[in-house]
Amino acid sequence: MKDRVVISPTTRQEGHAELVMEVDDEGIVTKGMYFSITPVRGLEKMVLSKAPETAPVLCQRICGVCPIPHTLASAEAIDQALGIEIPKAARLLREATLAAHNINSAAIHHFLVAPDFVPEELFATAVDSVSNIRKNVQYVVDMIAGEGIHPSDIRVGGMARNITPFTKERLIERMTALKSDLEAHIELIKNCVAESAEKMGIPKDLGVVNQPLLAVHPTYGVNEFDMDAFSEVLPEAWYDDPEVGKRGCSVIPLINGTNVETGPRARMEKFQGFKDKGVIAQHVARADEMLKNYDACLEALDAIDPAASARADYDPRGTGELGFGIIEGPRGTNAHMAKVEDGKIKFYSAIVPTTWNIPTMGPATEGFHHEFGPHVIRAYDPCLSCATHVMVVDDEDKSILKNEMVRI
Amino acid sequence: MPLGTYKEALSARSTDSKILDVSQDGGIVSALLCYALDEGIIEGAVVAGTPDEDWRPIPTVVTSADEVIAAAGTKYSMSPTLSALKEATRQYGLEKVGVVATPCQTQGLRKAQAYPFTRFVVDKIKLLIGIYCMENFPMASLDTFATAKLGFDSLTDATKMDIGKGKFWLTKDGEDSGLAIKETHGYEQAGCNICMDYVAEWADVSTGSVGSPDGWSTVLTRTDDGDSIFKAAVDAGLIETKPMDDVKPGLPLLEKLAKGKKDKNGKERENRAKLGLPLPVEY
Repeated sequence: MKDRVVISPTTRQEGHAELVMEVDDEGIVTKGMYFSITPVRGLEKMVLSKAPETAPVLCQRICGVCPIPHTLASAEAIDQALGIEIPKAARLLREATLAAHNINSAAIHHFLVAPDFVPEELFATAVDSVSNIRKNVQYVVDMIAGEGIHPSDIRVGGMARNITPFTKERLIERMTALKSDLEAHIELIKNCVAESAEKMGIPKDLGVVNQPLLAVHPTYGVNEFDMDAFSEVLPEAWYDDPEVGKRGCSVIPLINGTNVETGPRARMEKFQGFKDKGVIAQHVARADEMLKNYDACLEALDAIDPAASARADYDPRGTGELGFGIIEGPRGTNAHMAKVEDGKIKFYSAIVPTTWNIPTMGPATEGFHHEFGPHVIRAYDPCLSCATHVMVVDDEDKSILKNEMVRI
Repeated sequence: MPLGTYKEALSARSTDSKILDVSQDGGIVSALLCYALDEGIIEGAVVAGTPDEDWRPIPTVVTSADEVIAAAGTKYSMSPTLSALKEATRQYGLEKVGVVATPCQTQGLRKAQAYPFTRFVVDKIKLLIGIYCMENFPMASLDTFATAKLGFDSLTDATKMDIGKGKFWLTKDGEDSGLAIKETHGYEQAGCNICMDYVAEWADVSTGSVGSPDGWSTVLTRTDDGDSIFKAAVDAGLIETKPMDDVKPGLPLLEKLAKGKKDKNGKERENRAKLGLPLPVEY
């Protein structure tokens, strides 16, 4: 007998999504489908026919959880679309900002999963630790990029300003002082995950998938993207269940025709020799990656020459070529692409981390009891509000508008 | 109370000749900033500088006594000083900031502090020095005073600019040329005509020349912080003071001008209200 377990909405994540699991008599998931039910974001359409500088300002509003990767991906895409080579100091400032932000975002996730893993007697300690780390790394983002959330000073052509020598010294000092706390935090989280996973009987291979990995850089990003390997399908074509296909609000991005896994574990496997797979491995990888980002942040801070210019002069008319800003955000690869002609944005598209993971997350629940489903989902730290591409038009039958309208 | 709430009124002057050489009057703003910087009360300050010596004020972040002194002196055109606060509290990395502000800017800052809109910016302000201000002129007005009214070839020929004794003064080749204040009416920015604050009533410390003899400034200490920083600078020997009762023209002139501004602009506010024009709230 086939039964259906539906979790709607899935919790302790950003945005709204549904997890539909078909289960057998023992409650084992035979088919998992995870899909976004968050309304359309539409920002890619809003920036069209506007000045190129508009894109990072608007597109960072895609989400308030990881606004830094969106700003950077947008700025990098526009930089390339305008043919700008940003100064070295600007690149270092951007790298330090992203690394600090990624630590912050991992810490937020630890807060979200704390009710799963952290025992009551350690709960306050864990929350304090999360707060302490966030306070310090967000300070770095604040100082360099203007604001910890929706940064004002990451600009097309580089950064609004360089930091002063005083600030450089202060940031290095503050980050250096954070190291022992960060190491203790990572240790705490990893221990809690390991111990409670055992107590809860979470299977070692829960959530193991063998999808290709999507990761372009250990800590920052690149300006290239293989468009030939990339394709998108609408949810109706992807999900076997027509009901799910109709209601799913995100397109399914594929590389070489297949869905991928992106995020900290993918990066750690691709660039740092991390081997393990599955739910527990994802938590461990995310925690371990904090230290990689910490090193990247300090390294970039150390290399910044405060006397150098952090912003390039540029011609805003545009090259007419597609520019790519492919940034490794906390939840994976964030791909923004833009085309600028005659000083106006002619094309804009963003394929954000959770969009890549959505088709991978559902099947990752398969083969285990449905009670573990939420654990599988949370291990990906999904962030739905930025991942949503299509809109529901008819509230009655939940059907979407014509296909050509939904590719935004 | 035309002068707002204050703890003490004193006539004062910096004791540092380096400051007095460049200051408009008693060098109180510079002396206080230098003292606060030295003592670590502030790590830097946002001020109106004139880096290009064309009299155009540019909001500037200063972090040393030398930079304070380089930015000394009154500017008679609008400086969007508060616009540099973000830079000061971000890329400059300042956690404790001083601000030199006109009364309108002081009001804006206090409002910003009262509302939670300016995260990690206004909460870093540790010293707010207000300067007396009757009105302020756009750069085009200053150009007009220099060229059309005083016969200069250009405003940049002026080596000193001052307002005092009922006149707007420009100095060229050591010679002072004065323009009666009433000649400047109509050239001020329109908003100044509905401002009710002459003496920066919401600052930590307010200062300006009016009420004290030449080369001295009249200081009103207003908040606990402002009062203690000013007194500490006096105790440290950086500022010398005289009681207001001992100096001419003294506090009555300051009160007269402050009240005059309120009366005149109060009427203008009524006029504008009758016309249905919007008015900013006064506190």
